[in-house]
Amino acid sequence: MYSNPSQIELEILETVLVNVYDPEIEIDIVNLGLVYDVKFDGKNQVVVTMTLSTPSCPLSDSIVQDVKESIKRSYPDFEVAVNLVFEPQWHQGMITPEGKEMLGMS
Amino acid sequence: MTGLQTANAPSHKIVIPHFVVGSLAFLISMILLFFTADEWMNLYFSPKLIAIVHILVLGWATMIAFGGLYQLIPVVYETSLYSERLAKLTFIVYTLSVIFLSYAFWKASFSQLLFYASLLMFLALMLFITNLILTYRKRTKSDISSKFITTALFWLALTVIIGTLTALNFKYQFFNHSHLQYLKIHAHIGLIGWFVMLIIGASSILIPMFVISHQTNTKSLNKSYFLINIGLIGLSINWFLDSNKIIELLMILSIVLGLLNYLRYVYLVFKSRIRKILDTAMKLTFLALIILSISLLISGVLTGFQMMNISKMSIIILYGSSIIIGFISTIILGQIYKTLPFIVWLKVYQPYVGKFKTPLPKELYSEKWLKIQMYVYLIGLAIFINGIAFQQLIIIKIGISLFIITATINLVNVLKITFHKQKLTTIK
Repeated sequence: MYSNPSQIELEILETVLVNVYDPEIEIDIVNLGLVYDVKFDGKNQVVVTMTLSTPSCPLSDSIVQDVKESIKRSYPDFEVAVNLVFEPQWHQGMITPEGKEMLGMS
Repeated sequence: MTGLQTANAPSHKIVIPHFVVGSLAFLISMILLFFTADEWMNLYFSPKLIAIVHILVLGWATMIAFGGLYQLIPVVYETSLYSERLAKLTFIVYTLSVIFLSYAFWKASFSQLLFYASLLMFLALMLFITNLILTYRKRTKSDISSKFITTALFWLALTVIIGTLTALNFKYQFFNHSHLQYLKIHAHIGLIGWFVMLIIGASSILIPMFVISHQTNTKSLNKSYFLINIGLIGLSINWFLDSNKIIELLMILSIVLGLLNYLRYVYLVFKSRIRKILDTAMKLTFLALIILSISLLISGVLTGFQMMNISKMSIIILYGSSIIIGFISTIILGQIYKTLPFIVWLKVYQPYVGKFKTPLPKELYSEKWLKIQMYVYLIGLAIFINGIAFQQLIIIKIGISLFIITATINLVNVLKITFHKQKLTTIK
């Protein structure tokens, strides 16, 4: 049992998922704003709710697998589920200032 | 889940050989073009040039298009390919028929070899079209992009039917009109109906995906679809019945307006793109579209000459080469690097993602060499077009030499991607 689930959620976001890259765009999924939510139940269940830059992304399976494996590598006892959603639709307002710089938008 | 296509993707064994054989055919066609330049420059109807054109459009462009389509079909129709075995068989029959058909043209064996070669080509293309039509029947999605691609298949079928009938006519002579009239229809529906419609359909999916644009207004694309098809149907019927110059002009105008509507759509996508920095492959794609705009101007000049009843072979070659070598080949040279590395990457690294550090798809080829290839090709194109326009053999040969360098770099890069050796590093 973890005393502070939100601390774990923050760790997953800031230290794990920030190292998961979209292989085509070559930017991590956190700075791209693709991760909508990370939920940890306080025991061993993690659910990542995320989207893709386009619904027809041919690399979707790889990105989802990368998210699961990366979390499991840091937290081997966790069970990880990825909830892929397309509502709300991802847009450029979701990209972090760092992501915008990497995309050449600023 | 909607939009997840990877489960429907075909085996890499079907897709990859098309890219290798296609790139080899591009190199071969350019070498042949170089050594026959003095002949085709001076002849009105050169069998060797016809052979080279068929290696280019069938061995290079259509071969890559087939490979790309097998990969794109799950996205376009949201279903898997009807039969992968049929696709493998098609690849073998098609490759043989390209070699046979080109050889028949090269040897100018119009009444003998061409008859059998064109029947084999007809069979190969019908195998491909059947596979895609059966895939189309189990589709779960239909939008303007899929309409473009499906209609392109219809035009491909018509192109090969007219081509085959023309070949049979050399042996049995049953046409009422001159066969040149049919060849004109054959060439235009092949270039515009098959290639251009296919490129519009595929690029309307791929360009927004690669530059990340959510521009969803497809009004321009709908107009483009309507105008190009009306123009092409009208043009073909007009040429089939004795040609009327006014109708011809109106139909050409319809096609040009259709293409301008497509260019407008791409412009809106480009303007609203999130990914501002373009890689070399995407630069080549957008350059191809600029070349298409220039080709439209050339076709205007060509139409002007025809209206004055002046037939200029150099303008016809200029028009054909700016579309085949300029537009179609440039876009293929770009899009190869947006598809093949990902197909190979998925094959080699998919099981290891997240467990090991894997290279990025872009690291499977040399971006530096792709850049060099792009500049060499564009300089070559400018020199070649000038050589054709001013009928200067030495200038034409310099241009083609640069195409040969381009085709060699492309082939080396394609082989480098295809035979990529797995590089995994442990994640610390």
